[in-house]
Amino acid sequence: MALYIIRRLLWAAVVILIVLLLTYAVFYLMPAGDPALRFAGKSPTPESLALIRDRLGLDEPWYQQYALFVKNFVTGDEFGWPGLGYSYVSNISVLDEVKERAPRTLLLIAGTATIWLVVGVSIGVLSAIRRRTVVDRLAMGFVLIGISSPVFWLGLIALFIFWNKLGWTGGTGYVPPTESLRGFFSHMILPWCVLALLFAAIYARMTRNTLLETLGEDYIRTARAKGLSERQVIVHHALRASLIPIITMLGMDIALLVGGAIITESVFNIQGLGWLAVRGTLDQDLPVVLGVVMVATIAVVIMNLLVDIAYAFLDPRVRYA
Amino acid sequence: MGVQPVRRRVAGAIAAVLGAAALTAALVSGASAGPSDQSARGGTYRVGWESSFGWTNSFDPTGEYLANGFVIYQNLMLRTLVQFNHVAGPAGNIPVPDLATSVPKPTNGGKRYTFTLKNGVRWGPPVNRELTSQDVKYAIERLARPKNGAQYGFYFNIIKGLQAYGDGKAKSISGIKTPTSKKIIFDLTAPAGDFPMRLTMGAAAPIPQEVAKCFEGKPGAYGRYVIASGPYMIEGSEDLDISSCGAMKPISGYDGQTKLTLVRNPNYRASTDSRKARENNPDSFEFIVNTNLDDIYDKVGAGELEDEFATASPKVFAEYSRDASKRKYLKSNSADGTYYLTMNLTQPPFDDVHVRRAMNWVMDKQALRKAWGGPIAGEIAQHILPNPMLLGKLNGFQPFKTPGDKGSVAKARAEMKQSKYANSNGVCKAKECKGVLLISDVRAVDKLTLPVIQAAAAKIGITFTVRTVNGAYPVLQTTSKNVPISNRPRWFKDYADPSTFIDPLFFGGNIIPTGNTNYALVGVKASQAKALGLTGNVNNVPSIDGLADECRAKTGNARVTCYAAIDRVLTTQVAPWVPYMWAYTVNIIGPNVTKWTFDQAAGLTGLAHVAVKG
Repeated sequence: MALYIIRRLLWAAVVILIVLLLTYAVFYLMPAGDPALRFAGKSPTPESLALIRDRLGLDEPWYQQYALFVKNFVTGDEFGWPGLGYSYVSNISVLDEVKERAPRTLLLIAGTATIWLVVGVSIGVLSAIRRRTVVDRLAMGFVLIGISSPVFWLGLIALFIFWNKLGWTGGTGYVPPTESLRGFFSHMILPWCVLALLFAAIYARMTRNTLLETLGEDYIRTARAKGLSERQVIVHHALRASLIPIITMLGMDIALLVGGAIITESVFNIQGLGWLAVRGTLDQDLPVVLGVVMVATIAVVIMNLLVDIAYAFLDPRVRYA
Repeated sequence: MGVQPVRRRVAGAIAAVLGAAALTAALVSGASAGPSDQSARGGTYRVGWESSFGWTNSFDPTGEYLANGFVIYQNLMLRTLVQFNHVAGPAGNIPVPDLATSVPKPTNGGKRYTFTLKNGVRWGPPVNRELTSQDVKYAIERLARPKNGAQYGFYFNIIKGLQAYGDGKAKSISGIKTPTSKKIIFDLTAPAGDFPMRLTMGAAAPIPQEVAKCFEGKPGAYGRYVIASGPYMIEGSEDLDISSCGAMKPISGYDGQTKLTLVRNPNYRASTDSRKARENNPDSFEFIVNTNLDDIYDKVGAGELEDEFATASPKVFAEYSRDASKRKYLKSNSADGTYYLTMNLTQPPFDDVHVRRAMNWVMDKQALRKAWGGPIAGEIAQHILPNPMLLGKLNGFQPFKTPGDKGSVAKARAEMKQSKYANSNGVCKAKECKGVLLISDVRAVDKLTLPVIQAAAAKIGITFTVRTVNGAYPVLQTTSKNVPISNRPRWFKDYADPSTFIDPLFFGGNIIPTGNTNYALVGVKASQAKALGLTGNVNNVPSIDGLADECRAKTGNARVTCYAAIDRVLTTQVAPWVPYMWAYTVNIIGPNVTKWTFDQAAGLTGLAHVAVKG
């Protein structure tokens, strides 16, 4: 297992380097223009532009900039380790910006994942064991609504009803739990639920399908023939096997949300990593874009690894040499 | 910083015009005063800020060029030798003394300005000492050093010796003398009647060297340590340890990204200031970034915010302009900015003045303005400079006026008949008029104006190949791209002087290969073509350089008259643009605002005069 993890980590480093290389290439091959112009005022001179390019390191070929970025990332820079440079726009260390924004996104994901997993899997199980009943139809109706509702629309509607009209929740914005636990939950409950709805719907359908498939397997029939209770059959045998694809998807979804909860973060003004990525892109703030890409890539790699490790515990047939 | 319609029955048209006029009048009349005109001290004035602060230099006054930054500095935080009264209309564009005891008349043939500073003006915490002429000098020296990232340092190059100092050829700026701690003398290389106005900008505000020296060569870094000289300071300034550079940590009231909180500066003495310029009613100001635009307006409506630095959607405009109970919260004022189509004087078919004039005649400005939201977005532009900037001297000057501002095909074709590209019907059949490259931006509003422009131009035989890019300015600003026409540009003044339009936008001597803002290439000379990478017709391009040189030296009324004359020449004889809208700044304010005014000079809320229920 240890060897396997080391090998995966080495591959992870290669993946990260390739993703960063692609990010650099995209930034330079499809630019909106010279980023130096962003900081040169309305009437820049060639001299002032040259100074800005020099200061931002934009006067070097992109591959040299890339090499320097990788070096700083590995060895650290004046702002600490890993070295991510500083934002062209805010003049703040990107590492500090990521540290400031990441907890917001991670807490958003943690709450959302908990809700979608509990709700989605529960509905899926219920729907599978009550197949072709009213419960099943209602559950699949929920799935249809969840999948069809755009997050931005749902978010605005939820805000209008629960904050604006009923006043049951906090409005937009983020309150750190260290500042006020009540405020934190009050402001996070809507984004959690809104974002979770889509995923819960997908997970419910997936759980139902895999569970139905598993319940048709020979070993389930054997378990029943041995006299196990239906509860034991479902929980200990069928559900455990059905969880493998769900765990796979959970890992990927969590990882993707690290940099991908942009719409939810925007609607609810959470200003997490997604916001940072959007801001960086619009401002041509390459170090910020790279910082978020780096975090998101690492999240994908780590979650993939955790999923693979989880297989070993969930599926007795999987053993890593 | 655009309008439209179609021919209908006369009665309908009249009703529409009257309706629009009434709406416009109602909106623009909201220049000052608020829901009630009572001033009240106390409370917090909260401003929702769309998406991100978007600074150009991280809020460091030496380089910060964002209008929102200007309004915060000028109204609240930083005092300058000369300032404005932060009120609406032409009165708001007249310079008044701030740190100086008066706005001096120039001497030495218009090349010397001597300022005497008021006594009793002290720096906010933690500097706390009396503000001196050395602080003013230091700010100018700081912006002169290129490594500090001044973004409009060119306005100060006229100070004698500043260029040599910036180039490292002199140890001090020979054109700045500080004979006493309360006197500063500026010697200029040429007369500049607008020099006092240049000193109203944030970069010219005094800076305490003991703090800013720690950020030498780090553009923007001082932005989180800005020391106040005005009535408000960044919250937590008193906790800033300036015993050494290493001891300094960013002031807590500004996190650099999402929130800026200003509180009263305990060292500010109202007796050294004018109440006409600054009333300082709220106890504090909060500028809060919000990524949800709808939420900003919901919060303003709900009284959770007092104001916004955001771009309201047409839906919000409609909501506030149609509902009588809400209309008082909608404020619309001239922003002293022009939206226009730019045509490149070196590129066929726009190298022919008759084609450019015909474009002015044929364009449906009404439809272009509608794309921006209709009458609430601005006034139809009839010439280049917004009328308030010319103190009304060109009111009524409408050389390309057409009924309803919808354009006139007949007049356009009559003009085109004189063009080398057109046939006897006034329609261009030449290949130069077919598939002309038009650079547009991906923004939705740019896309909305495209069909209007294409339909109008087609009436005189011009067709376009449209190239839409994400960020059109860098393309336009690169002369070697030889862009014939673009619908992207808009321009706002930097300070209330016509030269801030004429010099950067039309002065041939200012054309540079990258970052060029004279998109039309007015005044370009054949000798510049190679260096600029120009491929079109660079012979005999019309120029206003001589006229601009004359105006620059003038002061007062003569200066404005001079620039009005340039506008006439540009609009009618050069016609490099199709100016179609003089933009308004539209603000939605909250129900707790008890006093509100527009700062004409800054083009945004006059924060110095607002009041909120305590």
